[in-house]
Amino acid sequence: MRSPREQKGEPKKMGLIFFPAFDWAITPTHPEREERLLYTRDQIFEEGLMDLPEVEEYKPRLAEHKDVARVHFCIPSVEALVTEAHLIAAGSTLVLADAYMKGDITNAFALVRPPGHHSMRVAHGNRGFCNVNNEAIMVEYIRKKYGIRRVAIIDTDVHHGDGTQEIFYHDPDVLFISFHQDGRTLYPGSGFVDEQGGPKAIGRTINIPLPPETPDEGIHYVLEELVLPILKEFRPQLVVNSAGQDNHYTDPLANMRFSAQGYARLNEMLAPDIAVLEGGYAIETALPYVNCGIILAMAGLDYSNVLEPDYHPGRFSMSRTMEANITGTVEYLQGIWEAREKLTAKAVERAGPFFRRRKDIFYDTDGIRERQTESVKMCPDKGCPGYMTIDTDAARGYGHSDSGFGVFVPLFACKSCREEGREEYEAHKTDSRYNYIFFQDKNRDDYRLYSTRMHNERVY
Amino acid sequence: MLIGIDVGGTTTDAVLIDKGKTIKTSKVPTDHDHLLECLMGALDEVVREVPTEEIERVVLSTTLITNLIAEGKADPVALIIEPGPGMNHQDLTLGGEVRIVGGAIDYRGREIEPLDEDQVKKAAAALSERGYRKVAVASKFGQRNHTHEEKMREIVLRTHPEMTVEMGHRASGRLNFPRRAATAVLKAAAQERYRKFAEEVAEAISKRDIKAPIYILKADGGTLPLATSVEYPVETIFSGPAASTMGVLALTPPGQTSVVVDIGGTTTDLALILDGLPLISSKGARVDSHLTHIRAFAVKSVALGGDSRVRAEGQTVTLGPDRAGPGFCLGGPQPTPTDAMRLLNLISIGDETLAEEAMAKLGGDLGCSAGEAAQKVVDAAVEILVGEIDGMFLAWEEEPAYRVWEILQKEKIRPQNVVGVGGGSLGLVPLVAERLGAEGIIPEDAAVANAIGAAVARPTLTLSFRADTERGFYTVAEDGTTGEIRDKKLGQKEAEALAKRLIVERAERMGIGEYAREAEVTSSEVFNMVRGWATTGRILDVGMQIPAGLIPEWTGGGRG
Repeated sequence: MRSPREQKGEPKKMGLIFFPAFDWAITPTHPEREERLLYTRDQIFEEGLMDLPEVEEYKPRLAEHKDVARVHFCIPSVEALVTEAHLIAAGSTLVLADAYMKGDITNAFALVRPPGHHSMRVAHGNRGFCNVNNEAIMVEYIRKKYGIRRVAIIDTDVHHGDGTQEIFYHDPDVLFISFHQDGRTLYPGSGFVDEQGGPKAIGRTINIPLPPETPDEGIHYVLEELVLPILKEFRPQLVVNSAGQDNHYTDPLANMRFSAQGYARLNEMLAPDIAVLEGGYAIETALPYVNCGIILAMAGLDYSNVLEPDYHPGRFSMSRTMEANITGTVEYLQGIWEAREKLTAKAVERAGPFFRRRKDIFYDTDGIRERQTESVKMCPDKGCPGYMTIDTDAARGYGHSDSGFGVFVPLFACKSCREEGREEYEAHKTDSRYNYIFFQDKNRDDYRLYSTRMHNERVY
Repeated sequence: MLIGIDVGGTTTDAVLIDKGKTIKTSKVPTDHDHLLECLMGALDEVVREVPTEEIERVVLSTTLITNLIAEGKADPVALIIEPGPGMNHQDLTLGGEVRIVGGAIDYRGREIEPLDEDQVKKAAAALSERGYRKVAVASKFGQRNHTHEEKMREIVLRTHPEMTVEMGHRASGRLNFPRRAATAVLKAAAQERYRKFAEEVAEAISKRDIKAPIYILKADGGTLPLATSVEYPVETIFSGPAASTMGVLALTPPGQTSVVVDIGGTTTDLALILDGLPLISSKGARVDSHLTHIRAFAVKSVALGGDSRVRAEGQTVTLGPDRAGPGFCLGGPQPTPTDAMRLLNLISIGDETLAEEAMAKLGGDLGCSAGEAAQKVVDAAVEILVGEIDGMFLAWEEEPAYRVWEILQKEKIRPQNVVGVGGGSLGLVPLVAERLGAEGIIPEDAAVANAIGAAVARPTLTLSFRADTERGFYTVAEDGTTGEIRDKKLGQKEAEALAKRLIVERAERMGIGEYAREAEVTSSEVFNMVRGWATTGRILDVGMQIPAGLIPEWTGGGRG
């Protein structure tokens, strides 16, 4: 879609927030530490990128607790789960979202940390370096505030964006596409081709597992053959790049062969409206160059000279086996996309009145084991995604467990789903099996947390 | 006794201060082609009959460099850059020719590609043939490793001894390579003329038997000994607004938040003093079309003044940006804001009957009386100024920040005072103040506040210290000092102590050692470098400064 700024006929301008959180770390030696964006700062400031007429630098702000509660059921509460750094990273995306929607900028890049794409709807703690999901918070803020409906999120991080996938799994209006290093070889061990979305949203989640050592060529092939044609057909009103930088050939936590040139070209091809930084931990050898390349590409400037010192074009190539593997995946997923309407009808029929699934979720950073049962009403109203309930129980070491029950009413839910959802919430307030009862009604922008122990309700 | 002289756009003002009191002032017309004569003319008027041995300090500002650059009269300078990987700098233009050479240094000062010396030689030969005698050389990350810039300089000088060469890392050590290159180019372009000017000034003052030290005012409100300033010619730009701001600092109670409003004929300069500290622009100054690293006050120039053109558009009034001439009440051809203020008795200069005639004419176009027309003009002027002042505070609040605490602590600040200085339209000041809920102040010496500011400004100095203990060295951004660091676990306290020692040494080299004890730490950060889950070293950044302030001899403005 043409951006609001393009519709105004104004010259191109890219919005940028650089928030390196130089005073925040998970722990002093954790990859997510103060030093992470230090050399990136050096490179982009030394280039003078902030002085370019094509680039407008913005100041971050804190997201409100309500912005977090719009997406997450935080246990025990939003306040307890997020630090100011999380609110600033999320808030940065909101500043850029507003500037984008007002037409002050053509596109935007939130070059911020801490990251968020492993955070799911229920958040008990930190998973995969993430507490709250920055992209989801931004997308739901934009949809509520500006009345946009169809959004595409392309997760270009090397790890499967399992948090973002989970949050939008049942939403037919949010297309989530993630390409990543094959989950059999990398955290979080998910993101396989058969994860395709809930019954009412089949094909709106697309996972593209790639073999280790896939170079630029392989990812550009996926983009050209699969992602871009799907986007063209889906016609999103907003395209978000969940922009991890750990596909890089020097990343210490993964095994891919992507370069700064590859990343710049990817952003040029994808042309996201808003990109949000996710992972990427080759803080010296990759990040300064990758970020410089992405900024130049998004600002519409020449990035051909952004080259890592040890890189030369043609350094990495694909083997026949790798090529066949990727082509096979792409062809399979093209089939799923084309058959999505039929598959949706079949899945809804098979599910009966409620779709249920059980999930075991592990929080690697905080060592929490969570068990969930998710239940979605298969609403007969075709345009209604149905309300959802989640039953969660999380064990933190020995003897401590947090349980909760949440009711989620989507933005475009029908009237009866909104009422039923509300009744479920009210009914569970006296259910002593749970410590916390949550409620999200996106239509009313109403978010609540009820403590069954303290008998009090917080309204966000 | 202290002497301050400020060269302004139209007049050159001087003051003689004794024991916190301005005892003599003078104003002479500014002639930009004969700056020395203006300076001496203004000086002679205030020192007449004063025993020269009682003069303790002479501070002057100059528009020499500002005008040289604005009029394109500075010397042509070519630029040789070593950009390395990153942005394409093919189209970089800084006035003269730009040559690109191979070689690269990275963000930690490591050589990632040797300098292509052959290309440097060829570039120098070509530039010499094109008639260039001044060259600036700049390498990306040259401030973190000077060797390539030094090599470039050496090659150019060896092959073309007639050339002079300026290096990027000597112009500034801050990040931002295009700004460093531009600053080096401007320095090369201005230095020769400036040196000549400084020598003439020194000679002229010594001829008057004045033996007091002579200082020059910089854009950041600080002073530098005249002799030292030859190394920093470009820092003397924009000293006019700096002088006015320092004047307001001197003439208002300490520690307050004020807006400085200097209304001239066609422009108004606005500056901010926050809790007693003049606000420095977070990035360097824009000089002509060049973005530089030169520290300057955050000054906003608004195209509005007493002589601005007044237009009737329907029933509303628009002002500026062009000049209509002096006010009708002062014999000018057309109605101006000066006439409006005269009619409303906000100022007392000019002929009241003529002012009324001018406003009656404007009222005719607007369909209202002369008095109503005058009110509309004044309202429009106040509206513009209030909007611009709000915008400045907002811009300050919206400055990007890179740390959690910076985002959390930045609060909304609004001015306590609106202080009017300069010649003309001071009548607007109380009205602007009222709109902002602040106190309007017009100091007794408002007309020469700029010269007072120059007279009592103290030196400023910055120092950006950066240690990389893994690589075992530190650098000082401002002057390229480097040194060895053996302790991989160098602590923050030790780093700050080292930075403090370095700023004292730097102050002494610059002839302002007596102010070094005023140096304060402005930022201090430690980054643990972790490789493979083990700490391998630290990067320590310490920023220090002697901020803009007043010399202790100043006892005026309630400080005595």
